[in-house]
Parts: sequence; structure tokens; C-alpha cells
Amino acid sequence: MSDLVNVSYLAVGPEILLTLGAVLVLMIDVFRQPSARVHAWIVAATILAATVVTWFQWDRVTGEGPFLAFSDMVVIDEYGVIASFILLLVGALGLAVAWGMVERLGRRGAEGIVLVFMAIAGFQFMAVSANLVMMFMGLEIASISLYVLAGITRERPEADEAALKYFLLGSFASAVFIYGVALAFAGTGGVSVYDIGAFLRGSVLLKPGVLLIGMALLITGLAFKLSAAPFHVWAPDTYQGSPAGIVGFMAAGAKVGAFAGLGRIVITAFPLYEAEWAVGLAILATISIATGTLLAIAQSDIRRLLAYSGVAHAGFILTGLTAGEAGMPAVWFYLAVYTVQLIGAFAVVAAVAGPTAAGSPMSDYEGLSRRSPFLAAVLALFMLAMSGVPLTAGFVGKFGAFAVAWRADFEWLVIVALVASVAGFFFYLRVIVLMYMREPAVAEAPGTMRARLEPVGALRWVLIISTAITLAFGIYPTPLLDLLSTALPF
Amino acid sequence: MTVTVDWYLILAAVLFVIGAAGLLVRRNAIVMFMSIELMLNAVNLTFVSVGRELRDLTGQFAVFFVLVVAAAEVVVGLAIIVSIFRTRATASVDELSEMKG
Repeated sequence: MSDLVNVSYLAVGPEILLTLGAVLVLMIDVFRQPSARVHAWIVAATILAATVVTWFQWDRVTGEGPFLAFSDMVVIDEYGVIASFILLLVGALGLAVAWGMVERLGRRGAEGIVLVFMAIAGFQFMAVSANLVMMFMGLEIASISLYVLAGITRERPEADEAALKYFLLGSFASAVFIYGVALAFAGTGGVSVYDIGAFLRGSVLLKPGVLLIGMALLITGLAFKLSAAPFHVWAPDTYQGSPAGIVGFMAAGAKVGAFAGLGRIVITAFPLYEAEWAVGLAILATISIATGTLLAIAQSDIRRLLAYSGVAHAGFILTGLTAGEAGMPAVWFYLAVYTVQLIGAFAVVAAVAGPTAAGSPMSDYEGLSRRSPFLAAVLALFMLAMSGVPLTAGFVGKFGAFAVAWRADFEWLVIVALVASVAGFFFYLRVIVLMYMREPAVAEAPGTMRARLEPVGALRWVLIISTAITLAFGIYPTPLLDLLSTALPF
Repeated sequence: MTVTVDWYLILAAVLFVIGAAGLLVRRNAIVMFMSIELMLNAVNLTFVSVGRELRDLTGQFAVFFVLVVAAAEVVVGLAIIVSIFRTRATASVDELSEMKG
């Protein structure tokens, strides 16, 4: 660790490129008002360039090892680079799903692109920050972008309501998080995760109370963002009210970013308190799994169902995280495949409801197999993958997370999670039954919602790619699992 | 009687709890938003008191970041509240119940 401002553009390259892409989209939009086609080229070029730079980071990290930059604010290691890759994939798929919304919103659509870019950059900063204040900045860059995205169709009352609920509870969570940083600073005199870890190894705290409260607040703040119960109340309303095209990205990006931050904090800064935080995370996981599974059963809107299923999945991923460093490969495998399933499922929702619609009642899905065999089959696959059926990536993810938790002596938690997984079949199967065993509601007029339905353009490719990933890593997960277990733990 | 750093930390904790309680019990979006600002200022007070106690500028620099974030949140938060007020002529969160379940 040096005291110099060790500038490294490689370390923040992806974020710089995403910001430049955002500025470019805004400036061109002001002066030229180009067609959506031009925006599409800029988006593709920006994401591709950011991915290439992330690849250079990976090359350097695997060759010469992790490195710190910018006065040790940023650390580039395998953990951060893997999270960056997943976030870029989530961003690319998410923007492709949102493309219908971008086109329909006209000039405001360009702002949507900018906000997605900023959100990706913010979440990437969370993943690579070595300093808790830096992590707070990343969290806020991403969160504020997501608040605006939730309300981007602001003429619709539901979108306003979704944005306000997300904003109030999200800001509350951010305040809780930064108070946790302040208390960790009060307890150890440092805000860098390495300094906190080193301080705790080097000294015996007679009264660790302030520090433990700080740690609990840090975990609570991030639990809000990843919608773990009992901090999930915003998620169903926000998912239901936001424009259909963007919900997949909002849900998936927030989960990856928050878990990246949470993993870095508990493992690098507080390894000595593993007994305390592992139990805390296990309790959080139990509540999330139980709440998410029970409340998902009663939902009549598929987005609320996916929101509560997301609460349960946050619990399953937390189950893997209770194992600490040993659980990291399982956690990241789960996150990588679950976020893809989530975006795929919301892509179907966007195709059925239309890209800017709020709300997706279950009745829209009755007899979907007649109206669009492709959409119904894909959604059925994602439902099966989320419930953890073998030969889908969801099964491998759940198996890995439960196995590491079992080895970490959280047998009771694994049993709760297994029971909930079985109970979860009920509501996932309900969607499949609706799609395949009901007749479509009678069409009032030709050309209305009940007509045949085919996904077009970018949306179709998102469905194909996410289906391919879900099946490929379900049938042959070994390459990704090997990659993650050699790269992680850090 | 001397005022030690603990006093400031306790004051900040009390302010933070008042802010959190305000967010939970008040029903006007503007007041809820003010409660969040109060929580952020409690954080700032903690940072500067600890920073001064430890003779460490980290506390002061963290406050700048929190201030900037608070300003950005004001911009977005007030815009959302104004947008809601335009469509519904109310800022009470109890009226915002389009979505339930």
C-alpha cells in the first residue's frame, strides 16, 4: 500500500468508457436528435469497449495479481473483474430488453440509455472499491440512476408511485449504510476495507459494540438494495409500477452490485467477526426465504410474483454467503445464472405487456402457449430454472449454495431452504399451468392484447441468449464452476 | 465538566434515530425526505467528531462525499415529489396506493 495517488486508467477503464458513452449519447441527442439506430450503435460500441477493457483487467490480474489504484480507493482483483463482467452482461441484455421502451419514449429514451450506463458504472465501482466511502459513492451513483429509471414514464401514476417508494426506502437504506461506514470509522479509525481488517487483526477490541453495530448497519443497508426480507417492501411495488422494459435490469443489476459490495465488506473487512455476521446473514436468509416463498403464492401480478421470488432468491444467495470465503464460487455462479434468468423472465413480461406498461396481471398469461409458443416455452424454462429443476442452471446454483452452507455447519438453514424450494414449485408451476392449460381470454376486437404475440428484434435475441445460458450451464456447468473456484476466493 | 467526543457521537446517534423514526411515522413525502436528510447529517457529525478525535482528515473528506450525495438525492427526490404533486395534488404517501398485494 502506498500513499501516492497511483493513477491507473486501466483500473477504472470500464467506468470511464461507460461515462463517455453516456456523455456522447446526451450530446448527440442535444445537437442532432438522431434515430434510434445511431443510439444502438453507440450503445453497442460502448459496452463492447468496456468489455474489452475489463478483459485487459482480467489479463493483468491473472498474470501479475491484483493491484490497487487511486490512493487505494479501487482494487482490481478477480472478484471485482468477474462482477464487472456479469454487470456488463446484465447491462447489455437489460438495454436490449429496454430497447422498445427507448424507441417509444423518443428523446427521453436517450436519457434512459444514459441512466443505464451510469447504473452499470456505479455498480462496477461498488464491486471494485476498496474503500467504504468509495463503495457508498458507487451505490449512490447506481441507486439514483435507478430511481429515475423507475419513474421514466412519469405521466403514468404507477411509475411515479414506484419511483417515490423506491426513492424513499432506497435513500433510507443509503443513509443506514453510510452511518455504518461512520461507525466502522469510529471503531477502527479507517474506512478502507484493508485498513479495517488489518486494525482488527492487530488489536484486541475491549468494547467492540460500536463496530458491531456499524457492521450490522452496513449489512442492513445492502440488504435493502438486494431486497432481502424484512427490507424488501419496496420491491413488489417498484417492479409493478416501473416500465416493463427496464425492470429486469433494475432487479438484476441491484442484486449483483449489492452482493459484490456485501461480499467484499464481510470477507475483507470483518473476517475476524465471521461467527457474528454468518449468523446474522443466516437469519436474514431464513426470513427472506420464508417471506418470499409465502408471499409469492398469493400474488396476482407476475411482476409481484417475480419480486417475491427475488426476495426468496436473495435468501438462497445469502445462504451461500454464510460460508464466507469458501462460499464465494457458489454465490457468484448463482448470481451469474440467476440474473440472466431474471432478465429473461422480465423480457417475456416486456414482450407480453409492451415495453412501457405498468403492471402485468396473471390473466394476460392465460393460454399464452396458443398466442406465442416461443414466449410460453421460454418463460416456462425460466420458471423451472428459478424453482431449481435439474438440467437448468438454477439447479446447479442452488445445489452449490446449499452445499457450501451445509459444510459451514448451517444445516438448519439448508433444511429451511430445501423445504422452501419445494414449496416454491407451487407458484412457479402455477404460471406454467396458466400458460399451457387455460384457453386465452376471448378477444374483444381483432388486434388487441389477445392477438398472436411474437417478440421482435433485440428482445428475441435476449430470450435466445438467456435460454442458451440457462440450459448450457445447467447441463454442463463445469467450465464456469472451475473458473470461479480458481479465481475466487480472493 | 468537559465535552468529550462521546457526547457528539451520542448526539449523532440520537439525531439518526429521530430521522429514522420520522421516516417511519410521518406520512408527508417532503417530511419523510427531510428525515432522511437529518439521518445524513447525523452521519456527517459522526464523521467530523471521530475525524477530529483521531486527528485524521478521512472524517472530513467523507463528509464532502456525503454532502454531494445528499445534494444529488435532493434533485432527484424533489423532482419525483413534484411530478407526483402535479398528477395527484397531494404529497401524502397514504394516497399512493395504486399498487398493493
